[in-house]
Amino acid sequence: MQKRLEVLGMVCPFPLIEAQQAIEELNSGDELVVDFDCTQGTESIPRWAAEAGHTVTNFEQTDEAAWTITIQKK
Amino acid sequence: MKFESHTMYYIHIVLLRIKGADFMAYMIITGLICGALLGFVMQRGRFCLTGGFRDMYLAKNNRMFYALLVAIAVQSVGVFLLIDMGVFEYSAGTLPIVAVIVGSFIFGIGIILAGGCATGTWYRAGEGLIGSWIALAGYMLMSTIMKSGVLAPINQQIQGSSVLPTNSIADTFGINHWFIIIPFVAIVAFILFKQLTKPKVAIPALKAKRTGLAHILFEKRWNPFVTAALIGVIALIAWPLSAATGRVFGLGITTPSANILQYLTTGDSTFINWGVFLVLGIFAGSFIAAKGSKEFRFRMPDVKTGINSFVGGNLMGIGASLAGGCSIGNGLVMTAAMTWQGWIGLIFMILGTWTASYFVYVRPRQKAKAAKLKEQVAAV
Repeated sequence: MQKRLEVLGMVCPFPLIEAQQAIEELNSGDELVVDFDCTQGTESIPRWAAEAGHTVTNFEQTDEAAWTITIQKK
Repeated sequence: MKFESHTMYYIHIVLLRIKGADFMAYMIITGLICGALLGFVMQRGRFCLTGGFRDMYLAKNNRMFYALLVAIAVQSVGVFLLIDMGVFEYSAGTLPIVAVIVGSFIFGIGIILAGGCATGTWYRAGEGLIGSWIALAGYMLMSTIMKSGVLAPINQQIQGSSVLPTNSIADTFGINHWFIIIPFVAIVAFILFKQLTKPKVAIPALKAKRTGLAHILFEKRWNPFVTAALIGVIALIAWPLSAATGRVFGLGITTPSANILQYLTTGDSTFINWGVFLVLGIFAGSFIAAKGSKEFRFRMPDVKTGINSFVGGNLMGIGASLAGGCSIGNGLVMTAAMTWQGWIGLIFMILGTWTASYFVYVRPRQKAKAAKLKEQVAAV
């Protein structure tokens, strides 16, 4: 299953907090796609995902100051 | 001391040479360059003290705080070497202890609401975040009100109450400043060693689309400790550059931000100084960094974020004016100058960010969880 989290326009650290909250409700192996435009999130979100043991299956810049990251729950 | 007098003589000659129009040109060029370097490094290095202080509490993560210590250590060693060589003289003055404690705490609350400290707000404004423009407006306005506006008498009264005679830590103990700096540098080196030898987690990175210098400057993730060391060096070179214009201090954000508004509203050019060009440089440097790395875009906040930014900006103005410095002036520069004001200010600023973080991030989440639990119980 894949869940999409649109947090465009949210300032840091809210995209990260929202992602942490959203992933709690997923089952192991499910994916969370986070679309965000807070620059600092390019550092904090992948770092959190890696340190929490989840797998990042996709991470790319989609536009000027816009990114998408896909995190698979461990 | 022959060496000292020679250096002072040299500085004097430089100062004589750069009078008048040349003096203005020197101030504009060195201020803008120093600021632009700082803005660039902070934007690319994601150097966010607000986020760093917040994460010490929220994520039990001290990485950015340690990075700040690295920047302080680099700057401190350099500045005191320059002072010992007689390049400039610096006196830390007295310590308005109550104003520093109260002001720093208020500033800490303000930066959480505004989503960035004073420099953070300047550089995010350069990334195109309208919320940071709002915070900046509130911050400049309130700093001006506190420094030369209707609140100036109250500000002076609080600053004038309970003043301790010595601000310099070394002077309090009657020892040479190196007895403070060397142990501090040793502690920072030990922390850095521990951090760098920790088992690393591979952090997923964006796919590289560029190569060479463009990749390093505009794409690569910068190591926070490298960023911090660069910021320490920039903070260090700010001292002699600024001292040559008669402003004997390092990086500063609050007073120059207020000076811009004071100059614009009074037309009095005495408000223009090296610091004014420094903060304008930060804005320009971060814009260049953001634009070059495709991270610039005008972004409008929602109403709630907009209001928080404005309230936060005002609290930052009140706090930094009372405390005589923000996260840079006190947190990075006065700490490196080994003053009580710097270190006490830094501690209470951090406590302020933790207090605000509880109300902004922790409590709403606990409430939401409790409400959900109630719902589930009711459903059963």
